Amino acid sequence: MAEEIEKSQQEDPLADIDPLIHAPSRLRVMTYLYVVDSIDFVYLKRVTGMSWGNLSTHLTKLEQAGYIRISKSFQDKKPKTMIELTDKGRTAFRGYKDGMQEVLGNLPD
Amino acid sequence: MTKKNISIKEAERQVYRSAFDDGLVDIFLASVVLMWALAPYLSVYMGDFWSSAIFLPIWGVLYLVLRWIRKNWIIPRAGVVEYGPVRRKRVTTFTIIMVVLNVLFLILGLVAFFMPGGPGWTKTIPFALMLLLSFSLAGYFLDVTRFYVYGLLLASGIFVGEYLYQNFGFSHHGFPVVFGFLSAVIFLTGVYKLVTFIKDNPLPSEEQLQWEAKNG
Repeated sequence: MAEEIEKSQQEDPLADIDPLIHAPSRLRVMTYLYVVDSIDFVYLKRVTGMSWGNLSTHLTKLEQAGYIRISKSFQDKKPKTMIELTDKGRTAFRGYKDGMQEVLGNLPD
Repeated sequence: MTKKNISIKEAERQVYRSAFDDGLVDIFLASVVLMWALAPYLSVYMGDFWSSAIFLPIWGVLYLVLRWIRKNWIIPRAGVVEYGPVRRKRVTTFTIIMVVLNVLFLILGLVAFFMPGGPGWTKTIPFALMLLLSFSLAGYFLDVTRFYVYGLLLASGIFVGEYLYQNFGFSHHGFPVVFGFLSAVIFLTGVYKLVTFIKDNPLPSEEQLQWEAKNG
């Protein structure tokens, strides 16, 4: 059974695509997090153009999956939320990137 | 912004480039260019050295003012980011190249300045080259397109100044007029960008901050 699943995954590279990252908004968030060491909530909101609620919802999902680390602190009595990719998240994003390249790279024009 | 295609390279550029959206660097640059406009006049009273050195405390005060603006107006609106290794390496490379180039051009400039005789054009070429190359490198390494334009304007401004001096008798090789004008252009660009930035990025409301503290 396990061999069959593995075989089907080898035949179907889409099976390797992480649905958690594949959602457009989370893909956008993961892309920005991939290129920085860390970023705060306000900066991420600004570059992604997402609303507070929307961004927070996606961050929560990514945090629950262990893909990102969120650390909160207060600076001048104001909340400061720093976000960074975990090793697991970075590996997952690389896997997603390679998977998509494999899937789309072989398509004819 | 949300309609843009996602590309890792473009995302990295966008994160970095947005650090220059506030126009503060333009305002500081304008003050440097203003020195080139005013120093020739001041040198009559203060000599070559002090007519330039007098600007150091002015730049110091301006730097502190801009830093205060950045801390109190920009960061609460823009947020903060720690760049990744690719960008850090790029900035380090840029810094090293700029230091080497500026030392080289300083030597060339001094040689040209103290070289007896020779037409004015020969003395302006190293200065124009330095400006063009420095701003082009800044544009390339920092991914800020308008720096290319500044470099081109400033470099060609030197020749325009020389032309005005030789043909219309403008004082000090036309530096005060040309660089005074370009300083105003760069300053106004900076102020426009600053005002636009503040307008486009309002401060988070108390409600949003409380919400972020709870859920963000």
